[in-house]
Amino acid sequence: MSTDVNRLAVITWLAESASGLGRTALMKYCYFLQVVCGVPLGYRFSLYSYGPFDSDVLSDLDSAGSLGGVKSSVVYFSGGYGYRIEPGDRPDRVKRMGGTFIDAHQKELQWVVDEFKGWDASGLELASTLVYSDREAVRRGEQLGIGELSSRVRDLKPRFGIPQIQAYAEKLLSRDVLRSIR
Amino acid sequence: MEQNCSYLDVMAAGLNSSDRYEIRCPVHGFIRLNDWEMAIISQSPFQRLRRIRQLAWTDYVYPGGMHTRFEHSLGVMHTATLLYDSIVSNSRGVLESEFAYDETGFKRYRQLVRMAALLHDVGHGPFSHAGEDLLPFNQGKNQPYRHEDYSAAIVRTHFRSAIEDHPACINTPLTADDVAALIEGTAGAKQGIFWRDIISGQMDADRMDYLLRDSHHIGVGYGKFDLHRLVSTVQAIPAASGRPPRLGISEGGWHAAEALVLARYFMFTQVYFHKTRVAYDIHLRGALRAILPGGKFPKPEGEELNEFLKWDDWRVLGRLSEGAGGEHGERLRTRNHFRRIHATNEVCTEEELAGLDRMRAELGTMLVAEESASKSWYKTGMTDIPIFSDARDRPIAPLSRYSSVIANMKSNNQVLLYVRPENVTAAKEAVGRALGTQ
Repeated sequence: MSTDVNRLAVITWLAESASGLGRTALMKYCYFLQVVCGVPLGYRFSLYSYGPFDSDVLSDLDSAGSLGGVKSSVVYFSGGYGYRIEPGDRPDRVKRMGGTFIDAHQKELQWVVDEFKGWDASGLELASTLVYSDREAVRRGEQLGIGELSSRVRDLKPRFGIPQIQAYAEKLLSRDVLRSIR
Repeated sequence: MEQNCSYLDVMAAGLNSSDRYEIRCPVHGFIRLNDWEMAIISQSPFQRLRRIRQLAWTDYVYPGGMHTRFEHSLGVMHTATLLYDSIVSNSRGVLESEFAYDETGFKRYRQLVRMAALLHDVGHGPFSHAGEDLLPFNQGKNQPYRHEDYSAAIVRTHFRSAIEDHPACINTPLTADDVAALIEGTAGAKQGIFWRDIISGQMDADRMDYLLRDSHHIGVGYGKFDLHRLVSTVQAIPAASGRPPRLGISEGGWHAAEALVLARYFMFTQVYFHKTRVAYDIHLRGALRAILPGGKFPKPEGEELNEFLKWDDWRVLGRLSEGAGGEHGERLRTRNHFRRIHATNEVCTEEELAGLDRMRAELGTMLVAEESASKSWYKTGMTDIPIFSDARDRPIAPLSRYSSVIANMKSNNQVLLYVRPENVTAAKEAVGRALGTQ
C-alpha cells in the first residue's frame, strides 16, 4: 500500500479525533507525528515564518476530501479566516484504504491529539518552530540551554517575547519533546 | 552579457549605481545585475546551470523546450525583486511594525532575496527535477535530500568567498549562511524567513518565472498570466492573533491570482504531466540509475558535493552517446518510449483506485511503470491565496471565496500506467478485462 493512502487515512483519523481541527493544526500535527513520533508519513517539511510546512499536507487534505474522508469549510473571525476540517461522508472507507497503518500508529496519533488539543494556531506555530530549531541543533551535535533555544526562535518570530517562548519550551520539555536541551 | 546600462537608465530604474550589468531575457527584457551578483554568476557552479536543461527531455514533445536553469535563475532573481519592491511599497508600515526595518534593513533584505533567488537552483542535478528521485536519503532528517539541500550546501562552500569577500558586503552585510538558510528554510534565516514565501511558496518568484518561461520556449499559451498586475497587488497582510504577517494580494488583483492558479493547472495537464514527457522522465531516471555509481547521486557533503557538481547534462549525454544507460538509455537515444496504457481521471475516485488494483493484477509483468500526479514535482496542489479588501468592513478572505473556479478545483491525483511498445496490444486487452469491457 502506498504512503499516500496512509497519509489520507491519517488525515481522516485526525479530522475525526481532533475537534476543531484547522489547517494549521493539521499541518503541525502531521509535523509532530513525523518528527517527534517517527511516524513514516514521508513529508518534506521546511521552515517558514509560520513554522514547518509542506504543501503536500494540503494536497493530501484535498485528496482525502475528494474521497469522502474529510470535508473542509472556511470560517471567518475578526481580522481573518481559517478552515474547519471535519469527517466527510465516508471516513471509515478512507481509513480502511490505509490498511493497518492507523492501528500500527494508534498510540502516536492519540498522543499528538491528547498533548496538543486546545492549543491555538499561534501556539502550534510557535511550538513546531521550537521543535524544528531543536532538531536542527541535534543534527549539528549542539546542546543548548532553554534560553539559547528560545533566543533562536525569537530571531525567527520577533512578535513573541523571550519569556513567552520559554514558557512554550518548558511545556514541550515537560512532554519530553525537545532533544537538544542539556 | 552587456555593460551598457546608462546613468539615466540606472536613475530611472531607481537602481544602485553599481547595478550596471544587464542581460537580455526573452521573458522579462533586460535583467540588471550589480557587481556582487555578477561575481556570483561568474562562479563555475553557477555557470554549470547553463548545462542543465529546465525541462529535461520535454523537447521530445515540444521541440522548443531547450532552455536552461541558468536563464531561469536570472528570471527568478528579477521576479523576486519585483515582488519584494512591491511588497515593501504596499506594506511598508506592516514591515516596519513587525520587523523594525529601517532603510538599511530594507536594502539588506532586498539583496538577500535577490541572492537567494539567484542561487536557489544551483543544487539541481542533470536534467533538473527528472533525476531528483535519485538523490540519497538524509538520515539526519529521516527524509530524502531535496535539491534545495544541495543548493544550500553549495552556497555555503563554493559561493562563500564570492558572497562574503566582495567589497559590497561591507555596506550590506550578508553571509553565505544567510543565503543558504533562506533557500533551505532553516532557523539560521532568522527574521529573513518571512521572505521565503517569495522564494518558495504558493505565489513565489520561481513559479511565476517558470510558467512564463516554459510557455515562451515551448510555444504554448497555457502558462501565461498578468505578472505585472499580480506583482503590483501583492502585499504583506497584517498579523492576527500573535501570528506573523502573510503574503496576499489586494482585491484588485484577484483575477490575476486566479489566472496564475489556472496557468499552473493548464501547464501541468498539458506539459509537465504530458503522457510522453512523463515517459521520458521514467527513461531518464532508469538511465541515470544505470550510469550513476551505486545508482544514486553523491551526498551534499564534503568531497561528495564536489563529485555531485561534476554531474550535468553534458556528462550524462556523453555517457548515453557511448551506449550507457541500459534499456532506458537506448530508448532515449532512439526516441522509443514506454506507452501509456491507462490514465485515471484527474481527480481519481475510490472506485478508480480499486480498478487500478485489478489492472495491475491483469497486466502483471507487462506493467513497467506507474506515475502519479500527486508525486510529480510540478503538481498543482491546493492554493488559496489571501485577498485583502480595500473596504475596511470586509474581512480578509481566501481567493476561493472570490473565484468559483478556484473554489471548485481539486488536487490532481491522476495515475498513468505504462507498458513497453511491443506489449501494447496485449496490455489493452488486459486493461479491458480489468474494466469489464472485454
